[in-house]
Amino acid sequence: MSHPLHVAGNKFLKALAKHADVIMKTYLSGRVNELDFDGKVLDKLINLGVLWRPEPGEDLRLRSSIRGLLENNLRDERNRQLDANMGTKLAAIKTVTSHYKEALHHQNYAEAEVYMEDLTEQVYGLVDSLKSNVRNLWRRIHNEFGYVASINAKIRENELAQSQLTEMRKQLEMFQFDELAAIAGSSRELRRLLVVHLQRSHSEISQELSIAQSKLIDLLGKFREYLHRSQLLKGFVLHQQQKPDHQIKDYSAAHNVPPLFNQAKAIIKPANIDVNNIEHEHLFADIVSRIKQIRHAHVGNNELRKAQGFDVNDIESIDIDSNIIKNAVENYFCQVIDSGVQLSALEYHQQEQLDINPEVWVYGVINGFQGLNSEEQDFFEIDTQGHVHPLFSGNFIIEDVALGLR
Amino acid sequence: MISLKGRVMESLLSGDFICKTSDEMAFQFLQNSENFAELEQQLNMMNRTIANANDGEVLFCAYQVIDEGERKVVAQKFREITASLLPLVEWLVLVQEAKGDNAPLSEGKVVRLNELQSVIEDTPAFSEQLAKIAKYSLFNSTSSSVDAQLKLVFKRLTELGYLLRPNPDNQIYLATGKVDYLFEVIRFIDDSEHLNLAQQAEEAIKQGDLL
Repeated sequence: MSHPLHVAGNKFLKALAKHADVIMKTYLSGRVNELDFDGKVLDKLINLGVLWRPEPGEDLRLRSSIRGLLENNLRDERNRQLDANMGTKLAAIKTVTSHYKEALHHQNYAEAEVYMEDLTEQVYGLVDSLKSNVRNLWRRIHNEFGYVASINAKIRENELAQSQLTEMRKQLEMFQFDELAAIAGSSRELRRLLVVHLQRSHSEISQELSIAQSKLIDLLGKFREYLHRSQLLKGFVLHQQQKPDHQIKDYSAAHNVPPLFNQAKAIIKPANIDVNNIEHEHLFADIVSRIKQIRHAHVGNNELRKAQGFDVNDIESIDIDSNIIKNAVENYFCQVIDSGVQLSALEYHQQEQLDINPEVWVYGVINGFQGLNSEEQDFFEIDTQGHVHPLFSGNFIIEDVALGLR
Repeated sequence: MISLKGRVMESLLSGDFICKTSDEMAFQFLQNSENFAELEQQLNMMNRTIANANDGEVLFCAYQVIDEGERKVVAQKFREITASLLPLVEWLVLVQEAKGDNAPLSEGKVVRLNELQSVIEDTPAFSEQLAKIAKYSLFNSTSSSVDAQLKLVFKRLTELGYLLRPNPDNQIYLATGKVDYLFEVIRFIDDSEHLNLAQQAEEAIKQGDLL
């Protein structure tokens, strides 16, 4: 490494470190807002090749090499560029190998040493770029293209990754190991680099790639399935909105019921209790002990407490028993009114040959008289006929009543 | 004690759908061809057979031969499915949109009721949608609060076997294989009636008037 290069590199890296803030803001937003930063700083960064202006009047942007460096180091998943240009790198390796062999041939060992160093760098660089490409692919696969939101975008991302992968496999086919082996010849150093190392990396990477490819195809299938399902659901809702009277065909009536709709009836019901099973006795006793005794069965029984409707008319037809006496009493009263003559109740009883117990009849008449309102009572005069109780004074035994008009 | 085989048998005969999420032991048991054949033989005695949906990810009990009596049962089941299709589909769309997922619910996916609830409560369009769903006779909710509607819907779906609540202490639900069965049903109807549901949805998205 020459001294001036070392100094320039140091200066460059220091400048990057010093203006890290500007660079990161540019990296994240994509462009520089020139009003936010000092013009001198921006000019300096342009001179260093960190920022550039794609077209006059456009905003300043990060150079792609710087962006690539950051994406690689930060493992930023937005990075989806793969460096797939193997052809030129292989050509460069072949060229440097020729230089090396020529230098060796001229026994110029110092020069050969430099070429060897360069060659090693080229080979490792090639392998590293291949590996980082694979890593990049896997990173995207692992989070299922989480950096884009919609499922359609994911499908497009997946397709992009697949095309990149195919491209990479094509590039890998450009490694022709027989040719490389011929170039390396008998040199142990060259064989180690060009044949052994490259071949091992090549097979590793091919393997990785085929796994990645199958994974990508899997993912694509999954995404399509998701998309299809979402569309089915939304389509169904839409269909029902547009044609609400659409009837689904009755597939159960078809001659061959589709297997999907062939569902057997659930036939298992809980088993019954076997009280004769001694083994279960303990369990049953436990259950019985938990049964709560309910004392106030009607409390809270709203059905019973509810107001109930009833028919007022029904009540009038209830008093059937007293009807005979009542009618007879009425007739008796009418006769007294009609004749205007005083008539004893028992006389009337005999006269009409009533089929009523005389005592009940007398009670009925008294009851009938008391049942009249006071105005009506005033029309009649009731006279009780009987005798005083022989033993207990103050008790009058009514034997008959006589009713007359006042 | 009931053996695993007995348990699987019981589960099949009670009309359960067996998947990896709802009953992994039973599902694995049936993956063994010997066990499967044995159970199948015993079920055949009752004119039943083990059917599957979604490429064998969901197993259930079907009739071997369908005669008059069986046809009645099948027709009844079919009516149940078709009647609950729209509420279930609308619910699936709601959950997908509220969760902001790319894919609708499918077997093994987790639904956190609390998270869903806060999103729905914050978004009037979602709460309206939920109210509409909860009013379907499948759920039959009379409540007007999001909380009660959502809990009822989840409770009913758990009863119907579409969801699973592994831990009764928290409101985390898992979708079972029956959800995938539902997709199969929709796909089947779509295919056999040439409804082109997916195209309809795509066109609607293009026109920008979806939901």
